Amino acid sequence: MSCHIVHERAGAAAQTLRLRARPLRLALVGQPNVGKSVVFGRLTGRYVTVSNYPGTTVAITRGRALVGAEVCDIVDTPGVNALDGTISEDERITRDVVAGADCDIVVQVADARNLRRALMLTAQLAGFRKPMVLALNMVDEAFARGISIDAAALAEALRVPVVEMVAVEGRGLSELRGALAAAARPYVPALPQASGRAVWAHELTERVRRVSTLSLAYVQETLARATRRPATGLPILAAVLYALYLFVGVFGAQTLVKLLEDGLFGQGINPAATWLADRFIPVPFIRDLLVGQYGVITMGFTYAIAIVLPVVATFFLMFGFLEDSGYIPRLAIFCDRIFRVMGLNGKAVLPMVLGLGCDTMATMTTRILGTPKERLIAILLLALGIPCSAQLATILGILGGISFVALATLFTVVLGQMFFVGWLAARVLTGDRSEFILELPPIRWPRPGNLLTKTRLRVWWYLGEAVPLFLIGTVLLFVLDRLGALTIVAAAGRPIVTGLLGLPPATAQILVMGFLRRDYGAAGLFQLAHSGQLTGVQAVVALTVMTLFVPCVANFLMMVRERGVKTGLAIVAVITPIAIFTGAGLNYVLGYLGVQF
Amino acid sequence: MCSVTLAFSSNATRPLSELRPGVRGVVFEVRASNSGRVDRLLGLGVTPGARVTVLQTFPGVVFLCDQTELAVERGVAASIIVRCEETQS
Repeated sequence: MSCHIVHERAGAAAQTLRLRARPLRLALVGQPNVGKSVVFGRLTGRYVTVSNYPGTTVAITRGRALVGAEVCDIVDTPGVNALDGTISEDERITRDVVAGADCDIVVQVADARNLRRALMLTAQLAGFRKPMVLALNMVDEAFARGISIDAAALAEALRVPVVEMVAVEGRGLSELRGALAAAARPYVPALPQASGRAVWAHELTERVRRVSTLSLAYVQETLARATRRPATGLPILAAVLYALYLFVGVFGAQTLVKLLEDGLFGQGINPAATWLADRFIPVPFIRDLLVGQYGVITMGFTYAIAIVLPVVATFFLMFGFLEDSGYIPRLAIFCDRIFRVMGLNGKAVLPMVLGLGCDTMATMTTRILGTPKERLIAILLLALGIPCSAQLATILGILGGISFVALATLFTVVLGQMFFVGWLAARVLTGDRSEFILELPPIRWPRPGNLLTKTRLRVWWYLGEAVPLFLIGTVLLFVLDRLGALTIVAAAGRPIVTGLLGLPPATAQILVMGFLRRDYGAAGLFQLAHSGQLTGVQAVVALTVMTLFVPCVANFLMMVRERGVKTGLAIVAVITPIAIFTGAGLNYVLGYLGVQF
Repeated sequence: MCSVTLAFSSNATRPLSELRPGVRGVVFEVRASNSGRVDRLLGLGVTPGARVTVLQTFPGVVFLCDQTELAVERGVAASIIVRCEETQS
């Protein structure tokens, strides 16, 4: 394998180093899932989330890198299959970067296994008349599949430097840095039509690429086949969900939570804090603020660290593993037909599953969907029914301790409601659904390094994002309690909370907190359930209502950012009554049937 | 009608949606009444001349095009006209 050799066009003009008024600006552009973010991370030292599915990056990230003696600004862009014609929102973002004056050099990152596709994009990029370098990434995987590319001939034909890389291992990076100075406008015949580009790409590919029948990737191919066929794929899905339940629901939500809540906080931190407060803080008001019933330490910290953190951490670890393995997009094959009823196509499984990590991020990921109608429906359903990891934590924590049937009831009701609302939205909203065309990434063994980095960053992100809100929420509760407002809230909510939903009056304040962050509200339920103030039926009803609420303030703001204030408010206005009436209906039905969990 | 054809003729051309798993061939033509579908397929490397292998046909059509595994709905697969390889028995 003639790896890591920079093939520059013959007779490239010698470049002179000169001082620039501003740093050189590079854009990393390429098809989805070719490793742009890995190259970006390697060049800049900045980590951006890397996963094994198309559409991990849906916004641009900027960073700086030292190339030779020069400082460069580098832009990581969302993956694109095309830059003209009908393109999705994330593709438009990339096109604007390439077309803008902010981009001096385009580095096209390509998957060496798919040269034809890469060249289709090269032909379109050539139209922007920017100097280019072509980075052929993953030459190791191409080699394992019997594909070899004559990079020198390719460089000769395109008249741009071609660099062979294995970016995850850092191979070919110094060659890429070196090639930037020789970046040149690609020599591609002017082909405005996709059909003309297809013929050109095909001919050039046939000329520089050799494919032998040799394949060294048996294990991956067997797994890839097993995960997408219904006969084997559905049992595998069941096994994956069960493993998720065991690791997150049992190990995280029960073993670890018990250890932290009863052990560390119950016997260590909280008694110590209370003792210290009693001893050194003479003002009862401040003492209560810290260690009282609504104390920052006894309630806020305990919720965030002891109840939610263990589940979030175990979930992110398992989730990262699934992301990097390339498994998640395969679910789209099974979901396509069901999603079609809801005005979506199988591709929407990506934002939906990502919503289990964080609904706010997933709302942004809906950019990969084809039409505005699909985006709106996906955003609505994310806000309505998909519990984020923190909320999943509390659900598993409460219902896992009651019974499996209780858990199944909750998910059946929530999924049924999502299906119904999706079905309705597909009929009420105007616009089209796009066709289901999805690229399936190869099955890969996740890299432990990336998995750990990703999990660590996500846990830090959770701590930075959720903990302050938990603390603010606690202070707010404390103040409301002192002002006597909590009793007013409870009284005002009584007709709904105790009347319609059949919940104890104390739940009113928890539902109020659920508006701020639904996992925070759910954490409140957790304590209530823990102290035996909720029956099984009440826990299921309360959690169902909470799950159907809009997730959190951050999610609401993201909806506003992506779709505008009017749509954001409309979604809240639709979801809130649905949540309450579903809860009321569930309470009535369970009561009528006399179900006890 | 928007269509992109390879410059050779053959009788044994059939839509991908009608092929059974395991059948190999070469893309002969990509045609559809909406040009968006053609553009998207071409952008994914489903171009005349590309080698394809049908991997499965239920619940959706999954096929290998070069080294890309693509999952599409049946209607889309009907737009991809394939010149099948002679099957050796």
